[in-house]
Amino acid sequence: MEKILDKQRLDDWIAALTDWEAFAPAVEDGVWAFRPVVGAARLDHPNTKQPPKGFAFPQREVFFSFEQIKGEAPRLTQKLPDSKHRVVFGVRPCDARGTVRMDRVFADHVDDVYYQSRRNNMAYVGLACNKPPSAHCFCLSVGGSPVSSDGLDVLMTDLGDRYFLAAITETGKSLMTTAGDLLKMPAAADRKQAASVHAEAVAQPQRAINNPDGAPARLKASFKSPLWEELAQACIGCGICTFLCPTCHCFDINDEVTGSAPLKGNRVRTWDNCQFPDFTMHTSGHNPRPTVGARLRQRVCHKFQYFHENFGMHQCTGCGRCISDCPVGIDIVHVVNKVTEHAG
Amino acid sequence: MIDVQSIRDAARDLLAKGEVRAVIGYQRGSRGMLAEPVTITDPEQADELVWDATCFHNLALYLVEDRKALAHAQRTPNLPIAIVAKGCDARAIVVLMQEHYFKREDVYIIGVSCEGGGVLVEYKLARLLNGAQALSAVIDGAELVVTTLAGEVRLPASEVMADRCLECREPFPKEHNVVFGEDQTSRQLVAPFTALARFEALSEADRWAYWCRQFERCIRCFACRSVCPMCYCDECVVDSITFPVAPETTAEEKANRIRWIERSAVRSENITYHMTRAMHLAGRCIDCGECERVCPVNIPLRLLNNKMEREAREHFGYEPGASIGGPSLVASFRDDDPGQFIR
Repeated sequence: MEKILDKQRLDDWIAALTDWEAFAPAVEDGVWAFRPVVGAARLDHPNTKQPPKGFAFPQREVFFSFEQIKGEAPRLTQKLPDSKHRVVFGVRPCDARGTVRMDRVFADHVDDVYYQSRRNNMAYVGLACNKPPSAHCFCLSVGGSPVSSDGLDVLMTDLGDRYFLAAITETGKSLMTTAGDLLKMPAAADRKQAASVHAEAVAQPQRAINNPDGAPARLKASFKSPLWEELAQACIGCGICTFLCPTCHCFDINDEVTGSAPLKGNRVRTWDNCQFPDFTMHTSGHNPRPTVGARLRQRVCHKFQYFHENFGMHQCTGCGRCISDCPVGIDIVHVVNKVTEHAG
Repeated sequence: MIDVQSIRDAARDLLAKGEVRAVIGYQRGSRGMLAEPVTITDPEQADELVWDATCFHNLALYLVEDRKALAHAQRTPNLPIAIVAKGCDARAIVVLMQEHYFKREDVYIIGVSCEGGGVLVEYKLARLLNGAQALSAVIDGAELVVTTLAGEVRLPASEVMADRCLECREPFPKEHNVVFGEDQTSRQLVAPFTALARFEALSEADRWAYWCRQFERCIRCFACRSVCPMCYCDECVVDSITFPVAPETTAEEKANRIRWIERSAVRSENITYHMTRAMHLAGRCIDCGECERVCPVNIPLRLLNNKMEREAREHFGYEPGASIGGPSLVASFRDDDPGQFIR
């Protein structure tokens, strides 16, 4: 299903989606984030600081609460996410492809009820990148494209005064059907313009990973390369690169005690971060990834080797956030290129 | 204006003559015009060093990393390590020496004066360039000289400089072994604590609402802590392991640890983290502003540290990073202290 939406009517479409809680990019204190749509939604964002990953995999999630009265058995109460339907507008194609990768981890191999119950109630309405939103975009290098619909329910393309809409999934179709008369049938000229906008978008210059297909084998051969320590030399061990990543999914589970008589609290899952020095700290005090080089290697090889071995695709979708926001200039494109060039 | 060649020559000389074991400086990275930290050990690498308005980083952090690595390897080097230091960086080095983190003779300071300038802020520059891509940015007097594909653009430096640089009282690294550039300590572009004063003009309710909004946004990536040369503790209240675990650490010690701050990135925990950090930096923070620069979600952390700095200054006449042998704020007292508790 393909339709045309007048830009002025975007809000009317969102308003028509009464069964859905709608989110769109908004800027506050200079930070772009997906926020509930209040009033007019504008889709003129570069890319959001954080991907929409948190909708299905929030940074903090309560699994269950516990309470134990002395002498009695502990009482556990599972806390499942609510069943609200949520739709996110303005998702960039790289981030939608991130969602596909998150699904592999939390829905294919394991039955993560928390992730799945959120995910199953989500819809993503994407916005093609007519121009790269960042100087560090490299989606084309990792099998993506600025007009990719992978992981989206609807793909929107900005045609100036109107959007060209393509339904990708059944959910997408139903979102568009709900709009009723707001959406028009595209004329031949609209289709032609959309096609040429897409062709131009794909032709925009981007940064490039030189040999993405060869990366898994070459990285495997470079495990002991001295380049890891050299390239990680300036790393400060913060968590920006992975906390802003659309595909990083490591987590920690803790009990947060809220009272002692009776003992009660919550079991909580929070994001964790392989770049933190204590991430792999053993109870013995031994740390198998004791250096910045070992930790950079983990981040890069997870994306370009281990994930590929497990799922047949790179875990990186080329959004460029880890490059733009690194405080000291560590650049995953440069790292992958340099290590793979010098492999074996 | 600083001639970058003089910094390169100094670094090459030091390494070639075997006077230092490494030089911590800046190089051009793979991200366009931005400089990035580098540690070089070969005199040949000296030509890769750069000096411009994107040398944001407080390199004193790498002296701390170096010291930690040496301690871990149980090595005592027989040569000092050299470091390129701006005024703020040099003050950080002084605080670290004051705290006996390392000795004066362990470090060779290649001071570089910011003269009338400082470092730029990327988003301020992007706004002024209106979409044009900058290839390099150097401060020349009161102007920032930017090279773009379309040619050279001269902008008033004060419009692109970081707040911390505008408010800087000491752009000249007083503590140094060698120094390049003029001492323009009295330049005073903007009065110190201007940003803080602007913020404090708000009502208490507005300030509380403001900070709530800021701390709600914190994602606890700890970049502010990681980038800070003063945050060198082996144990930090905010980590899941709040003490160094050694083979002799018992299971009971591990089980009974107190978790002061939960891992959840929620307002209460985030506030506790940032407040604790601000308190621990009182009298130590030298206002390099790196915490604020690196924050991915734009939390104005400098305001917190500035507040503590101004308190120390007004109540105790204390200037952090002023002298290696001088008293530290929280480890000294005066006989004429007006507080009763001290007597």
